[in-house]
Amino acid sequence: MAHPTALRRFDWLTVAFALGGLLLCYYLVPLVSLFLSAPPAAVATSLTQPAVVNATTTSLLSAAVSTLVAGVFGLPLAYWLARAETPWTGAILAAVVLPLVLPPTVGGVVLLTVVGPNTLLGSSAAAAGLPLTRSFAGVVIAQTFVASPFVVVTAKAAFEGVDRTLEHASRSLGKGRVTTLRRVTLPLATPGILAGTTLAFARAMGEFGATMMLAYYPRTMPVQIWVSFISLGLDAAYPVAIVLVVVSVLALIVLNTAASNPWQ
Amino acid sequence: MTRGLRLDGVAKTYGDFELGPVDLAVDDEVLAVLGPSGCGKTTLLSLVAGIVRPDAGTVVLDGRPLDDRPPEERGIGLVFQDGALFPHLTARENVAYAATDRAQVAELASRLEITSLLDRRPPSLSGGERQRVALARALAVDPDALLLDEPLSSLDAPIRRRLRDELHDLFAALDIPILYVTHDQRTATVLGDRIAVFRDGAIEQVGTPAAVLNRPESEFVARFTGCENVFAGTVVPDGVRVDGVTLPAETARPVGTAVTACLRPSRVRLIDDAALTGTVRRRLNEGDEYRVVVDLGGVGLIAQVRPPTGRALAPGDAVGVSVSPTDVHLL
Repeated sequence: MAHPTALRRFDWLTVAFALGGLLLCYYLVPLVSLFLSAPPAAVATSLTQPAVVNATTTSLLSAAVSTLVAGVFGLPLAYWLARAETPWTGAILAAVVLPLVLPPTVGGVVLLTVVGPNTLLGSSAAAAGLPLTRSFAGVVIAQTFVASPFVVVTAKAAFEGVDRTLEHASRSLGKGRVTTLRRVTLPLATPGILAGTTLAFARAMGEFGATMMLAYYPRTMPVQIWVSFISLGLDAAYPVAIVLVVVSVLALIVLNTAASNPWQ
Repeated sequence: MTRGLRLDGVAKTYGDFELGPVDLAVDDEVLAVLGPSGCGKTTLLSLVAGIVRPDAGTVVLDGRPLDDRPPEERGIGLVFQDGALFPHLTARENVAYAATDRAQVAELASRLEITSLLDRRPPSLSGGERQRVALARALAVDPDALLLDEPLSSLDAPIRRRLRDELHDLFAALDIPILYVTHDQRTATVLGDRIAVFRDGAIEQVGTPAAVLNRPESEFVARFTGCENVFAGTVVPDGVRVDGVTLPAETARPVGTAVTACLRPSRVRLIDDAALTGTVRRRLNEGDEYRVVVDLGGVGLIAQVRPPTGRALAPGDAVGVSVSPTDVHLL
């Protein structure tokens, strides 16, 4: 016998999914559409064009260097933030997060006030043969600025996730701070550190705003997309866009495998 | 060279919490540090281990002041509540972390009976197994002192008892000062050559288990070590008067002195012909023992008796209560 209230019972979970599903389509349909709009043969051909090859090389190299720089300086800062008992942690963390919330073009403007061709630093560097704008160095400076906070914030959380008792145990077993870091803390924080560096790499690959301000040349992939779009139209922008989508998907795969701690 | 571990005026303040100043001397013995949670026992161990720096005072081990030495240079082994094994290493790698060679690992594994567990990772070990590995790991550095922070408290009762008994034998074979932190009076009594009762960051009493249990120096020590019958009373010619009931006691104090009488429930006997009579208020069956609350005209006396008791001890039953004067401790 049908219960009277059962007829009036509304399945809100389904409604929630239907609403959320629309958003999901909003994410996925343009991606699928991009791949459909660009015939594979055309993409393959255009991938061999010097401009595309150069942009891809520049982006991969500069993003790799930026991620390396972010790791070399960001991991120590993350470890210090996670372990130092200082009231300044909050303020320092706010400074770290600033590039994340700052519009990238504004990031470019503030960077130019320090490394621009007319600044002391910029002119001295240029005189020494290492121009900090319109150069590979400029690309790296712009990318590191916007991408390195990902390393610091994510690695800080990873270091904090390592039980300090384990570090105390290691110290009591006769191992100093550095050995403890190398043999206990770092291995346990690795999944988080990997997630942070992957996010930073992905962000560096996609960096456009600050890069445009500092280094229009050599062109990175996002700049190349914009140039192709402006000069030749949307169709010309497809191949590089597809390469960037593939890189992003690869980053997502790393994130989803690295984020799962193999020792749990 | 003076052997042993010595704490001279060691003090540490964290916000509202003050520890010490603590003075302690631990020879090649087990000192059980007994106290409720939050009393500063773990902080005390951290100070000795060098994890926390004291605000004042000195820790001396075998004649060496440890003040400026980081934890790794103190030669002090640590065993934590949950073992604190490195989760990314196997049991063998944990023990080998600080061991000198494979032979030592094998020897420690056989001593702690973990040889068959060596290739497993900590998450797959039981709580008791983890503590065995943690002990082997701590002993691998051949420490000059050993500190243990409630290593048995998260284990199930049967395993806890078994490991506790094994620790007793293991400690006897180690000729080093051992500080064993626990909140459990039974563990402290079994393992401690002496017991230091801690309260609010300070030592309340230090002594042999018998001294601490039978001659507590404060009401806190009495209650915390299981003396549940604590009454305010006054000295009368043949004992101590508590709310109209006279408990027999031996004391040289003058009649009329206000005292606190302490009587362990296990020392109360329920027999037929006794000087004191009362009524059973309730009887709780703890399995091997009964806890019986006897109403002695307003005074509720807790007795711990071993069945068979020969009588039902049902609520309302009249019962005789026998107390030896030597068992009533006066504060």
